[in-house]
Amino acid sequence: MSNEDSQLGRVTISPRAIATIAYQAARQSYGVVGLTSKNLMEGITQVIVKDPTHGIEVKYDGQKIAIDIYVIIEYGTRIKSVASSVSNTVKFNVEKALGMPVEKVNVHVRGLRVSDMD
Amino acid sequence: MDLTEEDNPTPQQPSTLQKKPIDGQVFKSLVESSLIWLRTNQQAINILNVFPVPDGDTGTNMVLTMQAACDEITTSPERNIGKLTRMVAHGALMGARGNSGVILSQLWRGFARALDNFETLDAKLLVDALHQGRNTAYKGVVRPVEGTILTVAKDVAAEAELAMSDTQDPYEILERIVNAAEASVIRTPDLLPVLKEAGVVDAGGKGLFVILEGMLRYIKGLPLDVISATVQPLAAMKLENSPDSIEPGQDFEVVVDFHPLQELNIPQFYEDLQNMGTSIQLGEGDGIYRMHIHVPADKLYAPIEYTQSYGVVTKAAIENLRAQMEQIEHERHSSLQLTPVEPGQIATVVVAPGPGIARVFASLGVSAIVEGGQTMNPSTQEILNAFDHLPTDQVFILPNNKNIILAAQSAAQLTVKHVTVIPSHSVPQGMAAMLRLVPSGNPEQVAAEMNSVLNDVETGEITTATRSVEIDGVHVKEGQLISLLNGKLVGASNNLKSATLRLLKEANADNFELITLFYGSGVSRLEVDAIADAIRKKFPHQEIEVQDGGQPHYQFIISLE
Repeated sequence: MSNEDSQLGRVTISPRAIATIAYQAARQSYGVVGLTSKNLMEGITQVIVKDPTHGIEVKYDGQKIAIDIYVIIEYGTRIKSVASSVSNTVKFNVEKALGMPVEKVNVHVRGLRVSDMD
Repeated sequence: MDLTEEDNPTPQQPSTLQKKPIDGQVFKSLVESSLIWLRTNQQAINILNVFPVPDGDTGTNMVLTMQAACDEITTSPERNIGKLTRMVAHGALMGARGNSGVILSQLWRGFARALDNFETLDAKLLVDALHQGRNTAYKGVVRPVEGTILTVAKDVAAEAELAMSDTQDPYEILERIVNAAEASVIRTPDLLPVLKEAGVVDAGGKGLFVILEGMLRYIKGLPLDVISATVQPLAAMKLENSPDSIEPGQDFEVVVDFHPLQELNIPQFYEDLQNMGTSIQLGEGDGIYRMHIHVPADKLYAPIEYTQSYGVVTKAAIENLRAQMEQIEHERHSSLQLTPVEPGQIATVVVAPGPGIARVFASLGVSAIVEGGQTMNPSTQEILNAFDHLPTDQVFILPNNKNIILAAQSAAQLTVKHVTVIPSHSVPQGMAAMLRLVPSGNPEQVAAEMNSVLNDVETGEITTATRSVEIDGVHVKEGQLISLLNGKLVGASNNLKSATLRLLKEANADNFELITLFYGSGVSRLEVDAIADAIRKKFPHQEIEVQDGGQPHYQFIISLE
């Protein structure tokens, strides 16, 4: 994925690099207790191989960046508020690091973790 | 909401209260005091925002969360502390807004769990409950960031445990933890570099401290509705009035800019002003101070004379609030003609950030309007209510802000009606889409048509930076006006005119036909007209339209088509 042409040559940033930034930001978001794969089979392989972009999908159409995040949220939090914080945090961090606008951050809540029952 | 109309609990004598066991009703007063004190300090917390544009204000989010908690208990006669705190926790959970609101709701959840089935709160239980609150809050995150509200909650729990070895009095423990919370808040910039960079303490941590301090102030019989003497950065002062913020009898607003010739004794300054009026604010920037106060008619000149005793007054402005408010009320209730819709037709719901923008949308044929915008995202519930009141099953919603699209989508899933979200990112996009609405058309075709024009219009915005930052290679200083083109930062300027011209230049305004300026509530018509003239000179071939948008925070929302 290209960012800009400098006088010396092109700077390219891979979707995977962006995914790593998004992953770190999502992991630090309050209420997110885990990231998970889009589908089950992939999940099993990724439990074995520790992947720094697990649960993140980055799409780039030449102009705009769209990020999909698959998360597990802590039971007992207000899911809507947590999800919107995640998308804000991820967008802010990716934009800050890249200097490129992020068009969309879709948060998919894949499950809840129950630590305490009320 | 108006503070004076709150059932502001009259603080009891400290001596009698300190002997009282803390049952549900005593605790209710403590929680209500927290809310009042938090609301008093709301703006002071909001200005600690680290994000450069005004969004998701922490103070406001925490107030809304605590408000929801208090709403649960306000009429409850419950004496059992366990049952009462459970209601508080439930309310906080349901009303949690923003990151800090969610964490606050988790603190309450843990706190309530520890008190389950107990009648009254003693020292040991208090310590236990603070610990459980902390533990529950920490469970909500994989990698906790220190230097936040979590750290303050942790330090509070630790101090409570220490205090147990000195005292068995829960009130004394409360005093100890308030001090610990304050110290912890002051340490947050040392733990979190982004705070140090921005020169602020953590807003959420500060909010938690204020909540605890509110309880202590109530016990000590200190006032809860008087802001503590603080000086804000000039650019962060929010001087817009709403009908709710005006106290009966305080009919005039006085704003004075002055250069102090002597060191300003801030607490004394506040105390003297409190004898004259209410809604006192003090701001400072580059050595110039700005004082804001609401006073009754007979004390109209007192604040100006008083300020003169401190230094040179450079500017003074007096405004009649009654007249101003009557006009606002009048505008709000008049001329908002929503389009009635028949069963089977397509009804449109829009989210509008200001009264003027709502009027324009009304004239374009919308059927319902939900108030909301950059800082006040409407809740899913508010959007659902709008859907339910329409007599048709086909509903389109235009969020007009990318942060609201999510709420619109979840509302769409929660209703039995057939709702289509037209994902407009801005007011201009929403207006462009509205022009394509055919209420009796085939919903799928109309939606496709509306979606297709979203990107035909460019959106410009001018707002004030709430802190210094560098994004996309643009350096921004706190208080400067920033120009955003389709959400991307394209420039920073010191005055509104150059910020606007800069934006239009970046947007290649020569290529468009029509430029519409929606001016915000903080800009005067006079200033707007001058800027419109400058634009006409620079872009002679374009048609320029000026509309009163009335939106907060954004001086201009500009549509280019």
